[in-house]
Amino acid sequence: MNVVITPAMLGQVVVSGILAGALYAMVALGLALIFGVMRVINIAHGPLLMLGAYTTFFLYQALGLNPYLSVPITMLVLFALGALLQRTLVFRVVDAPELSSLLLTFGISIALVNLAQLAFTSNLRAIEYATGSYTLGPLAFSKSRLIAFAVAAALTGLAFLFLQRTRLGKAIRATSQSREVAMVCGVDVRRIHLITFGVAAALAGAGGALVSVIVAIQPEMGQIWTFKSFLVIVLGGAGNYPGALLGGILLGLVEQIASLFLTTQLSEAVAYILLVVILLVRPTGLLGGRQT
Amino acid sequence: MRPRTAFRVGLVLLVAALAAYPAVGTGYGVRAMLQIFMWVALAASWNLISGLTGYVSFGHVAFFGAGAYTGAILITSAGWSWPAAALAGGLGACVVALVIGYPCLRLKGPYFAIAMLGLNEVLRALVSYFEGLTGGGNGISLPTLEATVPVYYAMGVAAAAVTLLAYLVITSRFGLRLMTIREDEVAAEAMGIDTARHKLYAFLLSAAGPGIVGALAARDQGYIEPISVFPLATTITMIVMVLFGGKGTVWGPVLGAVVLFVSQELVWARFPYLHQLLFGSIIVAVVLLMPRGVLGLLQQKYHLPRTI
Repeated sequence: MNVVITPAMLGQVVVSGILAGALYAMVALGLALIFGVMRVINIAHGPLLMLGAYTTFFLYQALGLNPYLSVPITMLVLFALGALLQRTLVFRVVDAPELSSLLLTFGISIALVNLAQLAFTSNLRAIEYATGSYTLGPLAFSKSRLIAFAVAAALTGLAFLFLQRTRLGKAIRATSQSREVAMVCGVDVRRIHLITFGVAAALAGAGGALVSVIVAIQPEMGQIWTFKSFLVIVLGGAGNYPGALLGGILLGLVEQIASLFLTTQLSEAVAYILLVVILLVRPTGLLGGRQT
Repeated sequence: MRPRTAFRVGLVLLVAALAAYPAVGTGYGVRAMLQIFMWVALAASWNLISGLTGYVSFGHVAFFGAGAYTGAILITSAGWSWPAAALAGGLGACVVALVIGYPCLRLKGPYFAIAMLGLNEVLRALVSYFEGLTGGGNGISLPTLEATVPVYYAMGVAAAAVTLLAYLVITSRFGLRLMTIREDEVAAEAMGIDTARHKLYAFLLSAAGPGIVGALAARDQGYIEPISVFPLATTITMIVMVLFGGKGTVWGPVLGAVVLFVSQELVWARFPYLHQLLFGSIIVAVVLLMPRGVLGLLQQKYHLPRTI
């Protein structure tokens, strides 16, 4: 294969990578929050994103609601669902060995995908909105990806403001640093767990809403997002929330650059090889993070 | 007769009966038993890494697929006999396990589980991509050969071998060290156990069985393609079988494989759309209500030995 790479192509790849990266970062931040606060890897994170995409789709189909306006509604729905999952199932394994929480969320993930297949069928669905792209010189910006980037960046920014500035956000970070000390300081840890899971599910839901305009919606669209979100966390360093931003952008760039040389079929494999190499060379992530 | 002697006599009788079965059984019966053997080998293999060390492998079907492709390629392109190709399939799976296990098992925590979550998809993509070797999406057709009964015996030997391996591991110092890692990895390290090495050995042992079984299944079916040998559902089934029967035990995976396979054939085949929902619910229910599985409950209630 002989590919000539022009500067314009390279610029395009960098732009596309950054656009995709913001979305990765936002979704991964949800997974990172749950992991940081509860030491639980939520295998059902991707399927929650899938449910977010369906929520947006049905709001669009039934009520004709603009998919971007439905982002807050989707987030609320997913917040409630996440809190419900935490309240009924996940809270029982927060202190259990890792095996239990991994298996439990794996079971939830399988069940959610199957429920979606039963309720929504496996037909591919799409939201035709914001098609086409803007051009700027030699670069093309797909409309839906550009808006997704802007919304994801804004939501991620809001999430960081929430974590940094509000009392609740501080309580979440405190719980993530040391649950016992947070408890001693009067933080209601169970409530924090509930809210954290809800916020994480809402971030996944927002991701689903944004993705629903870009790719086809189907029950199995979510699983790959669990893997990619985790990859973003590993890249950025586990327990390091700003690291997730860098990790997201990096994953987006690597995937796009790989797509210059390889077929799309292999782009997943590239992300995977990246994970294995990072774990070999720098297991604490690129920015460094807390060892688990 | 002491219980232990009775158990051993029963076991010998069972093996004898299974060995004689193809002479008297129907075609369907032999095929069903062959499938049960396959699931016993798969479930018992998953148990070796995940049940003993607590490191969850979410992509164990990858080794089944790796074995199937190794075996099928050796049979069609190199003209190997299928028993030799099956052993090579086990070796192929071990090579994949080494490549993934070495970086991921050095670390504590969920890295391994997530890496295994992606492995299956990646192998499927790679197999589809390297068309020259694997036939890509068209798959590989193996030369026709009527070998159901020989494959039945081979599958039975594989199931017995993996179960025997589990018994040997669980009753050995090596097994005790693995279980120490599961209970408290830091303490295990403090006791001087080279945890990374032990986890890797357990992982290699757990990959060999699915590799062999995968190659045998490829021979049995006569045709493989990426979708048919890398289904996520197979990993899910292995996990459900082990959890239900009792993880970390010798006979739990066997019990789980038999019970789940039979109920699948008799009842659930009528509700194909609910299959995954049911399996997901079983996983959630077992983790929350019965973490040690059926055999674990029995061990507790009747004070059975830990090594059963």
